[in-house]
Amino acid sequence: MKTRNYLILCLIIAAGWAATLVLVPAVSVTVEQLMIGFLSTNA
Amino acid sequence: MLRIVLQAVGIVVLIGAVTIITLKIRNMDADGPSILFPGGELVSGELHTGPDPDWRFTDDVAVIELQLDKPMSSRRIFIAESGGKIYVPSGYMRSFIGRLWKDWAFQAAEGDGLAVARIRGTRYKRQLIRVSEGDVIDGIAQKLAQKYSGGAPDAVAVTKKQIIDGDTWIFELAPRQGAADEN
Repeated sequence: MKTRNYLILCLIIAAGWAATLVLVPAVSVTVEQLMIGFLSTNA
Repeated sequence: MLRIVLQAVGIVVLIGAVTIITLKIRNMDADGPSILFPGGELVSGELHTGPDPDWRFTDDVAVIELQLDKPMSSRRIFIAESGGKIYVPSGYMRSFIGRLWKDWAFQAAEGDGLAVARIRGTRYKRQLIRVSEGDVIDGIAQKLAQKYSGGAPDAVAVTKKQIIDGDTWIFELAPRQGAADEN
């Protein structure tokens, strides 16, 4: 993938993922539970 | 091929960074913390006045919300009652990730420790005082192990060792000094 297209893809992914985390509480809760599980195991 | 692998790694790193930044910013000024990320000032809930309650009711409370006044931030945390007093633990204190994750504990130990605890929707003004030795540790270790690790003798011993070794810090949620009328 060319650099320009890759950067556009990154921008779309970042914006879409951030919006999902903010607008869909179930997604952010699941992500946080996974993160705290990881930290509890590896910290 | 290498280019594709690097681009894929870049996207994974990007998603991780966006997740942390988004959730941290979203919770910064919230009325309380999320599961993992610190929140802002605890605003809602009745402010308790008068004598302390019988803290044994916290045996049925898995986590409370704890706000430090300086810096203003709040997080979810375990709680243990022992000998009529309440305590909160902060684990992983000697690991690299723990030092980043539990920065509040360092701030509480180095600062004035003024805090607000919200337990079952009621806010209590308290002062965090680190406890690291003495007979009180036995009771706290036993209660923490009972509540959060099944209570087996091994679990009690492990919890006590973690406290004594400094892997887990314990803070008493004491009444604020010089403000007995507030609590």
